[in-house]
Amino acid sequence: MNRERKISLVAPLLVSGLLLAACGAGGGGGASGQTTGTLKFYTDKAAWKPQFQSLNSTSLKDIKVSLDTTGYSDANQYEAFVKQSFRTKQTPGLFSWHTGDSLKQLVDQKLIADTSDIWQKAIADGNVSKDLQKYYTIGGKQYCVPMNIAYWVMYYNKKIFDKYGIATPTTWAELMNDAAKLKKNGVTPFYQTSTLFTFPWFETMVAGTDPDLYNGLSTGKVKYTDPRIVSIMNDWLDQAKKGWFSDAGGKTDPAQMLKQGDMAMLNFGTFFGGSLDAVGMKAHVDYDYFIIPAVNPKLTKTPVPVETGPMCVTANSKQKDLGLAYSKWWMTPGAQTAWSNARGDVPFNPKAQLKDAGLKDLGEKVAGDKYQLVARYFEAAPTPILNVALEEFGAFSANPGDPMPFLTKIQDAADKYWASQK
Amino acid sequence: MAKKKEHYRWAARGFVAPGVLLVAVLLYLPLLWTLFLSFSTYNGLGEPKWAGLANYLEMFQDPDFLSSMFNTLLWVVGTLAVPVGLGLVLALMTWNLKGGVWLRLPFLIPYAISGIGVGLIWSFVLQSNGALDQALHAFGVGDTPRWLLDAPLNTIVMIVAASWQGVGVNALLFTIGLQSIPKEPLEAARLDGAGGARLFRSILWPMLRPLTTVVIGLSIVASLKTFDIVLGMTKGGPGRVSETLALTMFNDTFVNSQYGLGSAIAVFLTVVTLLASILYLRQQLSKKNEI
Repeated sequence: MNRERKISLVAPLLVSGLLLAACGAGGGGGASGQTTGTLKFYTDKAAWKPQFQSLNSTSLKDIKVSLDTTGYSDANQYEAFVKQSFRTKQTPGLFSWHTGDSLKQLVDQKLIADTSDIWQKAIADGNVSKDLQKYYTIGGKQYCVPMNIAYWVMYYNKKIFDKYGIATPTTWAELMNDAAKLKKNGVTPFYQTSTLFTFPWFETMVAGTDPDLYNGLSTGKVKYTDPRIVSIMNDWLDQAKKGWFSDAGGKTDPAQMLKQGDMAMLNFGTFFGGSLDAVGMKAHVDYDYFIIPAVNPKLTKTPVPVETGPMCVTANSKQKDLGLAYSKWWMTPGAQTAWSNARGDVPFNPKAQLKDAGLKDLGEKVAGDKYQLVARYFEAAPTPILNVALEEFGAFSANPGDPMPFLTKIQDAADKYWASQK
Repeated sequence: MAKKKEHYRWAARGFVAPGVLLVAVLLYLPLLWTLFLSFSTYNGLGEPKWAGLANYLEMFQDPDFLSSMFNTLLWVVGTLAVPVGLGLVLALMTWNLKGGVWLRLPFLIPYAISGIGVGLIWSFVLQSNGALDQALHAFGVGDTPRWLLDAPLNTIVMIVAASWQGVGVNALLFTIGLQSIPKEPLEAARLDGAGGARLFRSILWPMLRPLTTVVIGLSIVASLKTFDIVLGMTKGGPGRVSETLALTMFNDTFVNSQYGLGSAIAVFLTVVTLLASILYLRQQLSKKNEI
C-alpha cells in the first residue's frame, strides 16, 4: 500500500476514532462503590450555588463528601440537559428536579435510585415529617430526598400596611376589604405577572374555596370548565377589573416592586424572603408575611400550598453510591441546620436549629390542626397541562376577560393528557 | 503518469475525508435524526415511538402554530420594509456625502449587541410603565398602548427593535454596493439630466441589484428564523400570541417536552426557508441576465 493511500485510509479512521472516543468518553457506567470524594451536583437553582458550596465544610467534616455544583439559570435548558444526559453514560451523581409528574416520568423509566431506606431511617429518627413522604413516593417506594420545602404565603410591605392602619387579615373577607382600602388610597394591592409564576392566585382561590376541587384538577376528576372553577375565575376577573393587580407586563424584579411600594402584597414561596433581604428590606420591619386565609370561611382547615423540590440520584450513575451517601447525610439535623441558615428557608427537619425563629414557627404552625397542606399547582398539575395552564393564566392576567376561552384551552390539554394515560 | 494521478486522487480523498465525515456527523446526522423524530412521539426520555404523520397533522390544526406562522410572516414583511428599506435610504442619503461615514457609524453600533441583549434593552423601554411610557406621560400622553401585551402590536414593536439593530449593517452593505458602481454611467446619466428619483430608478437601483439580491435573501432567511429578540422581549407571550415559528419549535420541544412536534416544526421551517431562498434567488438570478 503506498503512502498516499495509507493517509487516505488513516485520516478518516482517525477522525471517526476521535469522534467515537468523544461520544463514548467516560464509558463503563455503573456505580463505583465510592462513598467519599467530590460529588458532581447539577441544579437549575444557579442562584443558590454559593449556599450549596458553603455546605462543603460541614459535609467534608461529617462524611468526607464535597459538592461540585453546576448551576443552570434557565429551567428549560436544564431540563433538556438532564433528560439528554440519561442517553449517555455521563449521568449526574446528584441533581435537583421537581416532584409530581416530572419525577414520575423519570421513575417510570427506572432512571432514579431508590431512597426508601434513607426515608425509613429519617422518619424513624424524627428527621423528616411523614407528611412529606407522599410527595416522594411512587409505586410504594421513595425516590430522591427533599432539597427544600417552601410554603406559599402572602408577603406584604409592612410600612404600607402600617400607613393605612391595616392589620394582617385573618379571614378572606378581611383580605378583600384590605385590598379595597389599599386601592382607594392609590396603592395596587397584589402582584401579578404574565410569565411563569402565573398560577399562585388561581391556586390560592381554588384551594381556598374547596381543597377537593383543587385536588380534583390534578387527578382529572374535575374539569377546568367546571362551573365552580368558572365562578372562581369570574371572581378573579372582578378583582382584576377593580385594578387590584400590578401590571402583568411589568418586568421589574418583584422584590424591588414590593420595596418601592408598587404593590402592597405578593403571593410567593417562603424562599422569597432571601430576595427581599437582598434588595435591602428587613424582615418583620420592612416586610412580613401571613398565611392566606381560606376563601371559604366554612373550611375548618386553611389550605396552605407547599412546594418541595427533590434532590435525586441517578440509578446508573458512576457516582450513585456517593450521591446516596450525601442524600443520607442531607436528611440529618446537622446538614439541615447548615442549609436552612445558609438559605434563610424553612427546614424540613424539625430538629434543625434556625437563626430565624419566624420560619421555624411557620413550619410548626402549618403542621398543626388548623392547616392542611396542598401540593403547589406547579407540582400538582401534570406537566403537559401545567405548561398550557401557565400560558393561559398569563394571557388571562394580561388581558382579563371571559375566562371560558382560557379554561377551554387548558381543558383541551387536560383531555388529551388524560386520554393518553388510559 | 497514470499511477501518479491515481496517487494524487487517493491523497485528495484522504484530505477531504475528515471534513466530509465531520459534516456528516455534525450536520447530516442531526438533520436525519430530526426528520425521524418529526414522525414520532417522544418526551425526551426512553425511546421515540413511531407516530406517522400525527405531528404534522397536529401542527396544522393547532391555532397557536397558525398564529406563529402569521407572526413569522409579519417578521418577513416587516424586516424587508423597515431595516432593509431604511438601510437603503440611509445609504443613498450618505454615500456621496463628505463625512457620510460618521453619519452611518452610530447606526452600526447596535449591530455589536446580541439579539437577546437587544431584546432585554427594548423590553425595559417598552414594558408597561417602562421608559417609553414614562416619557410619553411626561409629554402629557395618559393612555399609552400596551406595547408588549397586545397582539399584533407586540410583534410590530419587536420588528422596530430589530430594525434598530439591523438598519446600520444594511446601510453599510448598500453603501459598499453604491461605491462599487462605476462612475461613467453615473456621469453620463447626470449629463443627460437625470437626478434624484430618476437617477435612482434608472441607474442606481438596477446596478445595485446583485447586492440587493444578497441583502434581501439574507434578510428573508434571518427573519424566518427570528428567535432571540422575541425570547428576550415577550418569551412569545402573553400566552403564545407573539411566538415565531422558531420560538414555537423551541417551546414545543424544550418547554412542553414534545420533541416530535418540535421536530416537525423544525422540518417545516427548514423546508420553508429553503424554498423561499431557492425561489427568490432563482427569480433574481434569471432577472440578472436581463440587465
